[in-house]
Amino acid sequence: MFNLIRKDLVIQKSQILLFIPFIMFFAIFGDHMSPFFIFLITSLYIPLNGYIYDEQVESNILLNSLPYRRKEIVAAKYIGSVVYMFLSIVIASIILYLFNFDFTLQDIAIATGLFFLFTAIAFPFFYILKPGYVGVAALIGMVVFAVVLPPALRFLAEHLTAITEFITSLSTATLYLSGAVISISLFLISWLVSQTIYQRKVL
Amino acid sequence: MDNVIEIRGVSKEFKEFSFDSIDLQIKQGYTTGLIGANGSGKTSLIKLIMNLLQPDKGEISVFGLDYATHEKVIKDRIGFVYDSNIFYESLNLKDISKIIAPSYKHWDSMQFKAYVDQFELPLKKPIKKLSKGMQMKASIALALSHHAELIIMDEPTAGLDPTFRRELLDIFQEVMVNENRSILFSTHTTSDLERLADYIVLIDQGEILFHQRMDELQEKYSIAKGNSDLLDRDTEAHFINIERSQDVFQALTINAAQVQKVFGDYIVMEKASLDDIMFHMKAAHRRNIHK
Repeated sequence: MFNLIRKDLVIQKSQILLFIPFIMFFAIFGDHMSPFFIFLITSLYIPLNGYIYDEQVESNILLNSLPYRRKEIVAAKYIGSVVYMFLSIVIASIILYLFNFDFTLQDIAIATGLFFLFTAIAFPFFYILKPGYVGVAALIGMVVFAVVLPPALRFLAEHLTAITEFITSLSTATLYLSGAVISISLFLISWLVSQTIYQRKVL
Repeated sequence: MDNVIEIRGVSKEFKEFSFDSIDLQIKQGYTTGLIGANGSGKTSLIKLIMNLLQPDKGEISVFGLDYATHEKVIKDRIGFVYDSNIFYESLNLKDISKIIAPSYKHWDSMQFKAYVDQFELPLKKPIKKLSKGMQMKASIALALSHHAELIIMDEPTAGLDPTFRRELLDIFQEVMVNENRSILFSTHTTSDLERLADYIVLIDQGEILFHQRMDELQEKYSIAKGNSDLLDRDTEAHFINIERSQDVFQALTINAAQVQKVFGDYIVMEKASLDDIMFHMKAAHRRNIHK
């Protein structure tokens, strides 16, 4: 399992070299961006790249010919993505701090929540999609996510006052806690869905 | 234990053909060649044995173990070589071995290094920059470096030029002699097997036409050549299949003595090559299907 998680780093070795300049770019030129968005993009960098590399060749044949169960291959992706998300956020925090880019723990919390939400939706598709489409799908997904989410939230805030009133009536702690519970639950459900899809996949 | 692979009553539907309740036992400690034309079901059979595909019905066991409960144990003891590159193309051999090595309990880095030296493989060059032949050698080096008891190879010589092919066959022979391994090896080039295989399995459209010892096969089958005038309904019955071209015919038989008696000196009898056997058996099989 550990080996499968580590594999995602080994296969994108050359991309990893770009990782730190990538965050630095945001730290320098991203001053109009919300910090949470920078955290979200950095946390998705390694997991998404891992999928894109995996489907460039018949890595499914390779991995399934090695002594691994299909369950483990999916589990490694989900656990690995959390590990890499965590590491990326730590690295991004350090870089942003060094560049005097203001951010709060709240930004990290929102980014983490959105990370779970995005991966929960995206990962099962990566097991359904034909090889060659994962990169495109991930890109489109990110754009849609970034474009649709803010207006959707605004719409909710303006038109469904009952819900917003309910949300604002909650304490910040309850709000974050319920957010965490919902996004992590979705992530775990997504894991089960991906596992079922992958077990039936014809290689 | 006698059989390294046991396939019992396996059925599986495909677009082009299907396996209908097939049985096959592969002997432990021997080299078995799986032959058949392109699209006959060789790769699908290998995928079933590797558990890349699951049968609709029936059972497959390897080393006497089933995949449902022992998948990891089984695959830990198998070395695999496929006809196309399945390794991450942008990585070099060193990085690939870093991914593969920790997957196996008995990875032997000395052994791997020995093969890399023997095959003169570049460790630092991306896989996609290697020639087809070098990719195949890299794949073989990776397959043979964890003391696998069973080596499964799908068309390892496909697309290679003759000199390279010969070099590879020498390597296989060495591997077989050195250790008591079982090898299952598919190919559509039968000449690869004449010096290597102990057993031959012929497959056509998902059906196993025979599974026999190589030496028995060469004794059992003969080719008769003669003038087409000799053939009529009675004499044709002695042959499995007849190929006619202009006024001469060439036919496969398992009754060399009988044929010789019937035709006397009018025909020439020869030992059948694997190619002859494959060609005629396939033609006879197709004819029977269409009847």
